[in-house]
Amino acid sequence: MILHKLEVHDFRNYSSLSLSLSPHVTIFVGQNAQGKTNILESVLMLALAKSHRAGKDSEMIRWGAESAFVAGELERQQRRSSLDLRIMKHGKKVRINGLEKRRISDFIGHLNVVLFAPEDLMLVKGGPQARRRFLDIELGQMSPQYLHNLAQYQKVLQQRNNILKNSDRPDKKMIDTLAVWDEQLIEYGVKLIRKRLEFVSKLQEFSASIHQRITSGGEELTLQYKSSLFEDVPSVDELPSRFQQQLADKQREDFRRGSTSAGPHRDDVEVRIDGKNVNTFGSQGQQRTAALSMKLAEIDLIRQEVGEYPVLLLDDVLSELDEMRQLHLLESMGEKVQTLITTTMTYGLEELMREKAVVYRVQQGILLRA
Amino acid sequence: MLYYPQPIADLIDGFMLLPGIGPKTAQRLAFHVLNMNEEDVMNFAKALVNAKRHLHYCSRCCNITDTDPCRVCSDSSRNQELICVVQDAKDVVAMEKMRDYNGLYHVLQGAISPMEGIGPDQIRIPELLRRLQDTDTAVNELILATNPNVEGEATAMYISRLIKPTGIKVTRIAHGLPVGGDLEYADEVTLSKALEGRREI
Repeated sequence: MILHKLEVHDFRNYSSLSLSLSPHVTIFVGQNAQGKTNILESVLMLALAKSHRAGKDSEMIRWGAESAFVAGELERQQRRSSLDLRIMKHGKKVRINGLEKRRISDFIGHLNVVLFAPEDLMLVKGGPQARRRFLDIELGQMSPQYLHNLAQYQKVLQQRNNILKNSDRPDKKMIDTLAVWDEQLIEYGVKLIRKRLEFVSKLQEFSASIHQRITSGGEELTLQYKSSLFEDVPSVDELPSRFQQQLADKQREDFRRGSTSAGPHRDDVEVRIDGKNVNTFGSQGQQRTAALSMKLAEIDLIRQEVGEYPVLLLDDVLSELDEMRQLHLLESMGEKVQTLITTTMTYGLEELMREKAVVYRVQQGILLRA
Repeated sequence: MLYYPQPIADLIDGFMLLPGIGPKTAQRLAFHVLNMNEEDVMNFAKALVNAKRHLHYCSRCCNITDTDPCRVCSDSSRNQELICVVQDAKDVVAMEKMRDYNGLYHVLQGAISPMEGIGPDQIRIPELLRRLQDTDTAVNELILATNPNVEGEATAMYISRLIKPTGIKVTRIAHGLPVGGDLEYADEVTLSKALEGRREI
């Protein structure tokens, strides 16, 4: 899919902006704090109606303005449509082809994007929590059932932990209910693990080949789902009994800790390069490239799900890669995937993309086409 | 700063105690009361007080009632072998509106929720057990109609574990597609639940 035009009014530091985007690569060059990321953020709003960095939607309204407005012209399966979104101090309104959608969920998903921002480096560098978050967000985007099961799991977990924490309360009957919480924890937990195993194996497939391309065949990336419930992946039918066993084995410990020590909320994805765990043994550069490969694999995953490539947003991450890797990245992506890039570097890149890319210089909220 | 005479201010405050009523609605209701004729206002006020004073819980099914046992429990034409367990008195009303259920009820007045400090003994589960043990009763099926969320489900599972050994049949109401709706309009979660609960025909 291709986002041909982008228009914003009173959004962040832009009072009014209208630009056409290249179907291949569009580069926004400028110093820090000029408003490059704001442009990507506005595109993200068209896709998800949610920002990756604003705590409150109203933060996106330009200082002194009543509301912010973002509109885009999208081409998808040879059909054009227009999306727009108005962010008010309280709430927002979304429209497709000028028709207002009452539910935000009817708006989300028309434009698919994959964003890679500096904080995504935590995907490899950070703790297990960052990787679980990644799994949950990606799976949640593709499957509402996953999101539902996750919410139910978390509720059951909270209730169960509450029993564990307050095991000294006089009401002994409460402890008797542990078994019925366990039963539900297993029901929802197994559904989560099954989806995650599926997802990680697909992600592994795509990201390994991307990683090979970016590193010119130099490195082999492998991803493996590490569960707190098993060492080697058991068959799907065995999952509930494994979970049950773990809960039973760790019950004494769980009571002591006041929380549940086994389950998908404790799981992780192990990222390895040439067999070595990148989280502990990888260099900075390897960690970056591994994170990038995982995010770029999402592009192929989305294509598999929705039948078209999403729009790729790269926020200030090129500077993190050496020139060789940049070149490979843009060559492998730019052809088939519409890419929007922000960068502070003016040299090298421009030269590289002169023929294909549209380059904008960003200064104090004003864009000049280079 | 006082915008209204004290009696109106009191009335507005009174309405604001009710759920779903904010200052604007409370103000509108209060001014409406001023325009009502006195008899209607008296009846309304009496109804409020009576509801609070004369209602209590049925000693058998724990539903709210003005007689004891309640009208359902004392109706001998109803099927005495069937008890439908619900969370709330409002659920009884929903079931009765259906006009298709002829058994008895048991109102739990809540669901098990450790986070809110609600265990089996804080809701009317002990009363249910006593009722089933009573030699006068001849219950042979317990229908668990608690809400389809994690607390309702936990409550249903807990009760079923307690009752199963006694030999009384325990059933759980189905969840899935609304009747009269088109499949294409069902949300994915409901649809997948319906698929899970499919049955052979």
